[in-house]
Amino acid sequence: MSQRRDGRLGAVWIVILIVLPLAAAVIALGIGRMSIAPGEVLDVLRANLSGGHAANELAEKTIMQLRLPRIILAVLVGAGLSVSGCAFQSLFANPLATPDTLGVASGAAFGAALGILLGFNLIGIQIMGLAMGGAAVALTWLAGSGRDRGGLSYIVLSGIMIGSLFSALISFIKFAADAESQLPAITYWLMGGLDKANYHTLALGAPVIIAGIILFILIRWRMNLLPLSDDEAKASGVDIRLLRAVTVVAATAITASCVSMCGQVGWVGLLIPHMCRMVFGNNHLSIVPASVSFGAVFMIIVDTMARSISAAEIPVSILTAIIGAPVFIILMRRSGGWRI
Amino acid sequence: MSEMNRQAAPLLKIEGGSFAYKGGPQILKDINIEVDPGEILAVLGPNGSGKTTMLRCMMDMLHWQSGRSLLDGEDIRGIPASTLWKKMAYVPQAGTAATSYTAFQTVLIGRSSRIGAFSSPTEEDMKVTERVMERLGISHLADKPCHAISGGELQMVLIARAMAAEPKFLVLDEPESNLDFKNQLIVLDTMTALAAEGVACVFNTHYPSHALQRAGKSLMLSKEGWSLFGDTTGVVTEDNIRRAFGVEALIGEVETPQNIMKNVVAVGISEEAFAQEPGAADRSVLASLTVIMQNNAHADQINKALREYNHLLIGRMGLPHRSSDKYIINVMLEGPVSEIEALSHRLSLIPDISVKTTYE
Repeated sequence: MSQRRDGRLGAVWIVILIVLPLAAAVIALGIGRMSIAPGEVLDVLRANLSGGHAANELAEKTIMQLRLPRIILAVLVGAGLSVSGCAFQSLFANPLATPDTLGVASGAAFGAALGILLGFNLIGIQIMGLAMGGAAVALTWLAGSGRDRGGLSYIVLSGIMIGSLFSALISFIKFAADAESQLPAITYWLMGGLDKANYHTLALGAPVIIAGIILFILIRWRMNLLPLSDDEAKASGVDIRLLRAVTVVAATAITASCVSMCGQVGWVGLLIPHMCRMVFGNNHLSIVPASVSFGAVFMIIVDTMARSISAAEIPVSILTAIIGAPVFIILMRRSGGWRI
Repeated sequence: MSEMNRQAAPLLKIEGGSFAYKGGPQILKDINIEVDPGEILAVLGPNGSGKTTMLRCMMDMLHWQSGRSLLDGEDIRGIPASTLWKKMAYVPQAGTAATSYTAFQTVLIGRSSRIGAFSSPTEEDMKVTERVMERLGISHLADKPCHAISGGELQMVLIARAMAAEPKFLVLDEPESNLDFKNQLIVLDTMTALAAEGVACVFNTHYPSHALQRAGKSLMLSKEGWSLFGDTTGVVTEDNIRRAFGVEALIGEVETPQNIMKNVVAVGISEEAFAQEPGAADRSVLASLTVIMQNNAHADQINKALREYNHLLIGRMGLPHRSSDKYIINVMLEGPVSEIEALSHRLSLIPDISVKTTYE
């Protein structure tokens, strides 16, 4: 069996979950207009890690300056969005919940679009995205909380409302934007892409995502209490309000950071956690690490395709859906479904 | 009537508990109950009389407007959640329970109050889980997902989850509702067995018969806000059922080879208002009570009950049966019918014994 009785992953799975993203990253670093063999990729990485330089200067520059930040971003975004999606599905005990459920992605996208409209640079756009993502969640929380009973469904409804409010605001910005220069930039940005990756934006966005992922991995056993009804959760003797609040804050911070760096990347947060649930069941001891790992691998694959299928970049959201939907359906039919 | 040898504070006590939902009528008024270790308390009442509300207030999931719940003499509101839920455990109605995990993982969740925020279950937690599941006879369900097992099995899994916390006090919300005959018996027998081990149980039920057959004490709630608490034989009476439920009911006795079991049959909807005060005229009679014990595992409980009703005893005879491991006790009693009934009822709740009473 792949898991122990308590839902913990077996040793084989742990090795797979660690090795798979690393292997995918090394292979992806070699793929592109300039093809580099995995052995040489490892040489370059080893040389740079030890502070020196590799023999092949061009390969080094391509890997370290162009591809590595992008792949780091792919790993963080894939892992972050899928673990947030997983947390939200459990929190709301709803299989359709995604990282955007509380309106955070729409809010962050609005902030970024506003940043582009105002002519900010990448860091400015990122900060605007983070701020507006946070504002959207705060609004959702204000609108939806209050009454104790059925509180979570009020919050989900408010999230949908706030999300559509910010979508409308995005449309308004597109409408107001200059059709020659700004509108294409905003539209392209909204479709999502990891081509904006550089070490400066990573320095701002990565710590939040990494901290959030580490937190979820640490509290993964306790996350098993999230789908429980109120009374059951209280009777567990755990401060369930604190657990829910921590989950919401961490998941929205991760999502806002992702969106502010690479636009709206759909599907990952829905697809990957469900695939993990089909394979491992619902126990968070296994699906949290699995979501992190498979999310990273999926995003590396999709982004590598986005930048190498054709000469022009293909927006990553298009590919996540084109690859994700069929894979998801095949898995669903094979595994006979799942439930939260 | 059994106030004589009360040394320590009861395990659970509610003092003057009252509650109303915002803008609603006062549904719980001045509730006073006491539950000791090993006792079973049944909470009865018609729909809308506040049975579940009473349980939720008792556990501080809702807050009493006035009055308080005490666990081991300490106000529940002042006990930190992690400490409280090691002593007390809750079995929700099966219909409202989350069912996304396997049975084993569900039971393991019962250990939550003993597992740190950043920790995972230890070997000890796993062992307790295995032991509880084996004890309740559901080990074979361990790896099945909870949505793929039957209602009766799910109820047992939920009881196991509560027991995994190793509580002294168990609260069950309609544990036998929506179950078939056999599963009802399994759940009720489990509760009786846990009580015999010293766990106090409070359960909500729609079945007055179950209160009579299983619970030493009962709390009857009414829609009008009044409530009755005491020994089950004094609370679950034909008169009180008519008053609280508006139903004409007859309490009959079914004699099995071992016991006389009380049974409530509803015969019609009551039109007339309540006429008689509860617990009126109580004549004094002579009676002979015979107990046969399959083993002497529960001898202490029998002796304790007999001591509490010492004032009724006019003669006593105990015989170990040499060839088997069985014991026969015969006591002669004199006193009010209600008290003799209460003693006989109390004894009949102890597992593995046969009890019969003959009146003059």
